[in-house]
Amino acid sequence: MIDRLHLREMDWALTALLLLNTVVGVVLIYSATFYTGGGFAWKQVLWMVIALGFFFLTVAVDYKFWIEIAPYLYGLALLVLVGLLAFGRVTSGARSWLRLAFLGGQPSEVAKVAVLLILARLFSEYRAAFANFAFGALAVLLAGLPMAVIAFQPDFGTAFCFFPLLAGALILAGLNRRMIALFLVVAVVGGFLGWNFFLKDYQKKRLETLVNPGQDPRGAGYHVLQSKIAIGSGGTTGKGFMKGTQSRLRFLPARHTDFIFAVLGEEFGFAGVFAVFVLYFLLLARMFRSVGKTRDRAGSYITFMASSLLTFQFLINVLMIVGLLPVTGIPIPLLSYGGSSLLTTYVAVGLVVNIQMRRFAYV
Amino acid sequence: MKDSPIYEDLSLLHRRALWVFRVVALLFLAAALFYWKIQILDYRKYFALAEANRIRESVIPSPRGVLTDRGGAVVLADNQASFKASFIRENAKDFDASVRAAAALLEIDESVIRERIEKYKSLPAFRPIVVKDKLTLEEVSRIEGRRNELPELVIETEPRRNYPFGSLAAHILGYMQEVTPEELRSGFRDRRLGDMVGKTGIEAAYETRLAGVDGTLLEVVDSQGRIREEIQRIEPRPRPKLALTVDYDLQAKAEELLAGREGAVVVLDPRNGEILVLASSPTYDPNRFINRFTPEEWQGLIANPDNPLLDRAIQGLYSPGSIFKPTMALAGLETGTITAGTSFFCGGSALFYDRPFRCWLEGGHGNLALSDAIKNSCNIYFYNVGNRLSVDTIARYAEMLGLGGMTGIEIPGEKAGLVPTSAWKKETTGQPWYPGETISVAIGQGPLQATPLQIAVMTAALANRGRRIRPHFTSEANVAAPSSGPLGLVPRETFETIVGGMWRSVNDGGTGQGARIEGFDICGKTGSTQTIGRETAERLAASGRSVKTHSWFTGFAPRDDPRIVVTVLIEFGGMGGATAAPVAGQIFGLSKAKHDR
Repeated sequence: MIDRLHLREMDWALTALLLLNTVVGVVLIYSATFYTGGGFAWKQVLWMVIALGFFFLTVAVDYKFWIEIAPYLYGLALLVLVGLLAFGRVTSGARSWLRLAFLGGQPSEVAKVAVLLILARLFSEYRAAFANFAFGALAVLLAGLPMAVIAFQPDFGTAFCFFPLLAGALILAGLNRRMIALFLVVAVVGGFLGWNFFLKDYQKKRLETLVNPGQDPRGAGYHVLQSKIAIGSGGTTGKGFMKGTQSRLRFLPARHTDFIFAVLGEEFGFAGVFAVFVLYFLLLARMFRSVGKTRDRAGSYITFMASSLLTFQFLINVLMIVGLLPVTGIPIPLLSYGGSSLLTTYVAVGLVVNIQMRRFAYV
Repeated sequence: MKDSPIYEDLSLLHRRALWVFRVVALLFLAAALFYWKIQILDYRKYFALAEANRIRESVIPSPRGVLTDRGGAVVLADNQASFKASFIRENAKDFDASVRAAAALLEIDESVIRERIEKYKSLPAFRPIVVKDKLTLEEVSRIEGRRNELPELVIETEPRRNYPFGSLAAHILGYMQEVTPEELRSGFRDRRLGDMVGKTGIEAAYETRLAGVDGTLLEVVDSQGRIREEIQRIEPRPRPKLALTVDYDLQAKAEELLAGREGAVVVLDPRNGEILVLASSPTYDPNRFINRFTPEEWQGLIANPDNPLLDRAIQGLYSPGSIFKPTMALAGLETGTITAGTSFFCGGSALFYDRPFRCWLEGGHGNLALSDAIKNSCNIYFYNVGNRLSVDTIARYAEMLGLGGMTGIEIPGEKAGLVPTSAWKKETTGQPWYPGETISVAIGQGPLQATPLQIAVMTAALANRGRRIRPHFTSEANVAAPSSGPLGLVPRETFETIVGGMWRSVNDGGTGQGARIEGFDICGKTGSTQTIGRETAERLAASGRSVKTHSWFTGFAPRDDPRIVVTVLIEFGGMGGATAAPVAGQIFGLSKAKHDR
């Protein structure tokens, strides 16, 4: 399945950027949690090793195989998600955890890969220059199903992450004006229904405090305010590794997960923030560049959707922790602590590497 | 690679991806710019915030609504600034050492502080816990002087409920206590642990009307607990004052007359049900509740055999005794059993069902008609009336006058009393009602029980010639009178007959003459109720001993246009005419004097 020609064409730079960003994450996780116990940094290293294994597994098998089994993966993911909703135990407010052996995982993270593959398969078979209505609707349904189930867990953050997959696919397929209008209508109606029937009070509160964080310093806005204080007080060069007072005094919520970037901002200042921006941007740029280095339509879609997913999560998170977006609980892939997220990201990037190195047809 | 047989043409897709990538690059730039703004441009602001971090929210307690008497001039309950010392656990570096230092500074036992902190340990650590209140100014300055060494001990001020006249009207106003965790879970959701809420009386009945809306204060406090900046202050919103219907002068007079005895006085306006006086003795000082009792003080109060916390006016259950006789007269006249002219002979005692029943006057009253029977409170006359009625008929008329049911007063804890019926007896004892028992009920004894307030309300119905009222303390209460029902259909002559007897009781040498006030047409009825069984009383009397009876007087004035009802009960006061009537007389007198002024 893999030969030396493929290895020569493998994107080692992208793989290196992937590892580099993960290491940055481990360092930040260590600084955020070394005084609390729990060994999060070491667990993340363990997860990194596991994820790397999956990365190479993903790369080794021709991506056509992955596309081939996409419907089965998708069905399985959906089954597990629904099962979790019915039988799962509530962990920190949502039925999103699956406990297997010694490590727990969130199937909702892994489901992203399944959706990515099935959408790629769907769109690779569609060859018109612009997506038509029925086709768009089918795509919306495929992405929307797991999204709805996850939103019911309730885990809105993760549910949101299916949006860039769908949007990525539709953008690539060429959204026409009617589609955009349809999207707007769905968004407005969905937003209205969601606000009135589905959003829990704490979620509404988050949206409301986004508008004015100073208004409710003890509520959801409190976290954003504390996060802004942490980042702002980092200044140009920061307070130093393991010396962030906001973080140490536990003013920062979810320091090793959703607010990991605030730890970076506080301890390494704007210099650190800018460096990580550059590092992450290089990773994403490399991934976007790969969209043009594919042999077929399906490859382009997979690469583009994977790029969109990482970009979306990164931007949402860094804008959320400074109060530009509501606190939705979306972690930064690679930087935030979390095994399932790391695994998903490695598999997604693995697919990109896979596609890129098999871009030439050997006839 | 265009038109390659191997490769698809994906250039359109690539162009779209490139376009998206450009947008992403712009977004990265924008995000970086924003970080640059807060980290470089606003650095000083956020650095200062981080240094002086800890946004603390504290409560500015609202003063409680002021209570006044009916004129609005006499303040019965207001608020006083009070200093209290509170302990902030978060600020204590060494908890045990802090408690020791605080105890020494406050001159209280360490265990007191520990107990208080233990009680509120569920509160967040930055929340101050009151360890001592009612600090003197000297204590305040002593604590402030040690501010830097002992940042965990802080002084807080808050408005505290204050009752300027101490125990005056205590049973009307009620008392306040700290809200309990159970109450917090049920009714008082907007309150917090440590808050005081009304537990009895007006304070409880009008809790939501009196409790203002607390304000909040958001401050940035540094790690030493020193206030650095005020972010936001929402002033508390106190509620407007509440004028009660209580007449301060009459209330004070009634309490003065009751001092040293156990009993109750109720004065109300029969025209509208406004309560002018509601006094119960012995009483207590509600201010003591505000200052947080020591456990000994509390034990002393609740273990007192005279039970000062009991509001005898609404919770004390007494046999009405002879003040029940007007009810009997009403029943007799309305059923046609007797007329105003019906006479019976009183020889001092009479046999009913083979048992001797005695009149209070040895030797008897001789032959007398209804008016004289009421005036002289003749037992034999009413035994005869009762003997001709069933207990259920008597009960119907008693209930028409409001006995055996709540009066609907707004303060909590009212007792309903008891009007016996044959069904009631069957239900409680399984025994049928024996006609002999009706004889005792005829003079207000037996199982009959009523509160002084019920007697006052009954008297008001007689004074109003059949129109019932609902007693109340404020115009904000439910003041709608209960339906007078069949009582409203009773002809006026019937009432005039009964009222006539009551007038003569006070003004024509009857048992109530002790209440007589010159120029004030008082109508009244006395009562002396046995507090022990008839056999016991006779046995004691045979050996020359006696237990004093409860002493009742209830009446109204003036006869033809009643504006005041006075009901007096003195426990173990002896004969109603000798003890309760003169007390009522003094209250009538003061009322008349105030009216004429």
